[in-house]
Amino acid sequence: MIKNDLKIALRQLLKNKSFSIINISGLAIGMASVIMLLLWIQNEMSFDRFHAKGDRIYELWNRAKWDDKLECWPVTPKIAAKSLRTHYPEIEKVIRVDWPNNRLLITKDKRLFSHGNAVDPEFLSTFSFPLLKGDINTVLSQPRSMLITPKLAEKLFGKEDPIGRVITLEDKKQLTVTGIIANPTNNTRFDFEYLLPWKFTELDEGEEENWNNNSTRTFVLLKENIDFSTIQNKIKTLRKDYSGVNDVYEMFLYPSYKWHLYGSFTNGFEDGAGKIQMVILLSIIAGFILLIACINFMNLSTARSEKRAKEVGIRKTIGAHKSALVAQFLSETILLAAFGFVIALLLVKLCLPAFNKLSQKELYIDFANPYFWIFSISFILLTGLLAGIYPAFYLSSFNPVKVLKGTFKSSGKAVTPRKILVVFQFVFAITLIVATIIVNQQINHVVSRETGYNNKNIIFHFLTSDLTKNYEILKQELLAQNLVQSVTKTNAPITERWSDSWGFEWEGKDPNDRTDFDRYIVDDAIVKTAGLKLLQGRDFDLKKFPTDSNAIIINESTLKVTGFKDPIGKIIIDGEEPFHVIGLIKDFVINSPYEPTTPMMMMGAKNGWFNVIHLRLNESTAAQDIKKIEQLFKKYNPEFPFNFKFADEQYAKKFDDMQRVATLASIFAVLAIFISCLGLFGLAAYMAENKVKEIGVRKVLGASVLNITTMLSANFLKLVGIAFLIATPLAWYFMQKWLSDYQYRISIEWWVFLVAGTIAFVISLLTVSYQSLKAALSNPVKNLRTE
Amino acid sequence: MIKVQNLEKIYRTEEIETVALNNVSFEIKEGEFVAMMGPSGCGKSTLLNIIGMLDDLDAGSYLFNGTEVAKFNERKRADLRKHNIGFVFQSFNLIDELTVFENVELPLMYTGVASSERKRIVDEVLDKIQIAHRRNHYPQQLSGGQQQRVAVARAVVNNPKLILADEPTGNLDSRNGNDVMQLLTDLNEKGTTIIMVTHSEHDARFTHRIINMLDGQIVTQSLKV
Repeated sequence: MIKNDLKIALRQLLKNKSFSIINISGLAIGMASVIMLLLWIQNEMSFDRFHAKGDRIYELWNRAKWDDKLECWPVTPKIAAKSLRTHYPEIEKVIRVDWPNNRLLITKDKRLFSHGNAVDPEFLSTFSFPLLKGDINTVLSQPRSMLITPKLAEKLFGKEDPIGRVITLEDKKQLTVTGIIANPTNNTRFDFEYLLPWKFTELDEGEEENWNNNSTRTFVLLKENIDFSTIQNKIKTLRKDYSGVNDVYEMFLYPSYKWHLYGSFTNGFEDGAGKIQMVILLSIIAGFILLIACINFMNLSTARSEKRAKEVGIRKTIGAHKSALVAQFLSETILLAAFGFVIALLLVKLCLPAFNKLSQKELYIDFANPYFWIFSISFILLTGLLAGIYPAFYLSSFNPVKVLKGTFKSSGKAVTPRKILVVFQFVFAITLIVATIIVNQQINHVVSRETGYNNKNIIFHFLTSDLTKNYEILKQELLAQNLVQSVTKTNAPITERWSDSWGFEWEGKDPNDRTDFDRYIVDDAIVKTAGLKLLQGRDFDLKKFPTDSNAIIINESTLKVTGFKDPIGKIIIDGEEPFHVIGLIKDFVINSPYEPTTPMMMMGAKNGWFNVIHLRLNESTAAQDIKKIEQLFKKYNPEFPFNFKFADEQYAKKFDDMQRVATLASIFAVLAIFISCLGLFGLAAYMAENKVKEIGVRKVLGASVLNITTMLSANFLKLVGIAFLIATPLAWYFMQKWLSDYQYRISIEWWVFLVAGTIAFVISLLTVSYQSLKAALSNPVKNLRTE
Repeated sequence: MIKVQNLEKIYRTEEIETVALNNVSFEIKEGEFVAMMGPSGCGKSTLLNIIGMLDDLDAGSYLFNGTEVAKFNERKRADLRKHNIGFVFQSFNLIDELTVFENVELPLMYTGVASSERKRIVDEVLDKIQIAHRRNHYPQQLSGGQQQRVAVARAVVNNPKLILADEPTGNLDSRNGNDVMQLLTDLNEKGTTIIMVTHSEHDARFTHRIINMLDGQIVTQSLKV
């Protein structure tokens, strides 16, 4: 029977080519989008879920009051590991993982930058990163040992065996490769090309015992069958118990399965936000895209039901049960879905590279995985059922007497559901169009926000190797050759906040004030170099005022917090060290451009350290000058490549995430409108076909082409109009909610909806009027005769 | 074989009620060949549909081989149809997407006959009605007469006890019409009961008995000699 059903299905598909093409292409596009989204979702959901001991792995977090709010964060003192090992019998292993570090690796004939971490040796037996070569018990036991991934091994040593080879770091430290660790997969938070033993970090400065320096990430592996709530309770007072001070910080353990998707806290507790929101949102969108593709099938099948009615009548007459007919129609849809799926796979293959670029992932379809095939079959069946179940029951319910007598007209019964489904499609499409416009508006709004400084023509470079030593002479030469307007060194790039503190004191400060200040360390001429807007006082000028290493420039937000009437000359104490205010600048955006600017202390070098050199280029000759600047950098820092960054490009990167959302929204909007219009096109074609006689009669009676086109198109456009009315408040609600996450945001304007509605309206008009015009232009005599 | 008593069928719409069959009673014995005649709209097709269990009745009793079937649900009716009744229509009603062979094979599939057995039976029937050479053609590739022969083949392939024919020659020229009538007569002679709705006096002559209807009622039943 199934063979017979499939045979008929195939013949039906071949016979009704336009119907099949519309349906298969709609389904294929829908399914391809869903497959890509599912690949993304699956990747997100699988993050760090592959560790065999994952149910016992936790990360150590802090919880403390901050600006009157309970904040949570996972950066911990290095010394915490020692206390955890000593005092908590419930804990099997403690692992510290330092921040990813980009190091210059030098071999006899290669020198390249590579990123990796220093980890406690227990890392290998806790997390499931397979050790491909080497003894797990000894590979990280020596402070100068090193594990590398096959990827890095290939880059450094080609095909040669890397074990035992020596790699030199920029500071001449020599490391020996003791093992090979598998390349981390694309679904883990850990991203390394090499691993160093934790002891390596202690070679220079020894073991750090400062409980006040939150500086690393700490993970624990609990013993088996430990009561989690007991250990969680004990951990709470870790700092207080072992730091020797009455610390306000609480600590807690956060389970590995939540790291990637959750990990968002408000006022001390999980708030349900995090990646999971994107996962849910994209799952919903994937579902909707598939649904609107299925709706096309439902609508077209029921619209052309008259064509199938006779067959239903005959089959019922000769004794077919309704269930047999339902099965037959469903097998047709499933066959259609199967064709759609095959094309969808091809589409995915084509689009995946672009999607990977957009999502910054390395997604791929694992054809060798049996789960992929189980998924494929289930997906085809699900799509077939979703699209086919309603038409199957609708078609199989026909009364054989009526259809065989020829008195059957596909009744109004299916018309209303059809209209509802079309409205549904367009509600979705219009909502996505609104979303696309608003996300783009928000981006433009933030991009065009006054940054408070001139980020054009600034380049910065990290103070690698000899640059720290040769900074002064390099600076002099850059200025002497007139390659730059000014030079300064700072603790952080002008586009990033690396340090903050609430420990400043000043006269008249409220003792309860715990305002957190951005802390930006500079040596000289920062106002000139960054193009800041000086409102009062002067720039740093070490030549004229050697005491400027104890000077401070504050911004307007700081002025407000301190309440200084006349800030210049005021003293602000950082630690024990007094700093005198020499200038007041306008706030500038250093952190998130979506947030309001925050109070900042721009401080002289006294308490500071430097990481970055900033150069303000000459406006007209910047391009030529960079070559010469490179030569100077090479001269004073020969070991390192000249690896500079433009400040404006770095600033623009702050919008990458939002830009991705905008791109995704517009892709989905285009898909939704395309699939919906594909369905509309098919429906219009059937309607024109059904009304061929009516059109003929009207034309004979004197109706113009315009009359008829309008009559035929109006029905559909009415539906788009209704969809517009429903979509407007919906889209307003969702976008309002989305915008509320950003403090610096646009307000939604009415014309956005009008534009979205017009776009949907015009596209549907074009879609429908092609069919309507074709029908209206046809020869009435011919039409009436064929009737 | 068929005993109908006080059968009533009323079509209702929101505004009007139309009595299609009013107090109809008759009996048909196994092996009979009966014609139902009367003007358009007299209810003969409705009656045929009710006998074929395609339509339900509003009142009265319908005994099929001694079993009351008036209250059968859809599944039971479908079962009754597929095992006992063959249909022949004026407009042939073949499935356009299936070949001659597949159209005739269809009823056997619904009764669950094995594939090899189906092939044998269908070939035999197609041979018998002399259309075997067209077995792989589609209906649209055949003449009207040929299509109706295929329809008859499909009606008899399951060896039904009863064949219901609704104006089987209505769309055919007289030569093809005669062929079809001859086919039905042959079947009847081999024992199949046939009830045929017809407007044609000529066709009625092939039958044993004529039931004349008017306005939803049986007016005369004349036995032919």
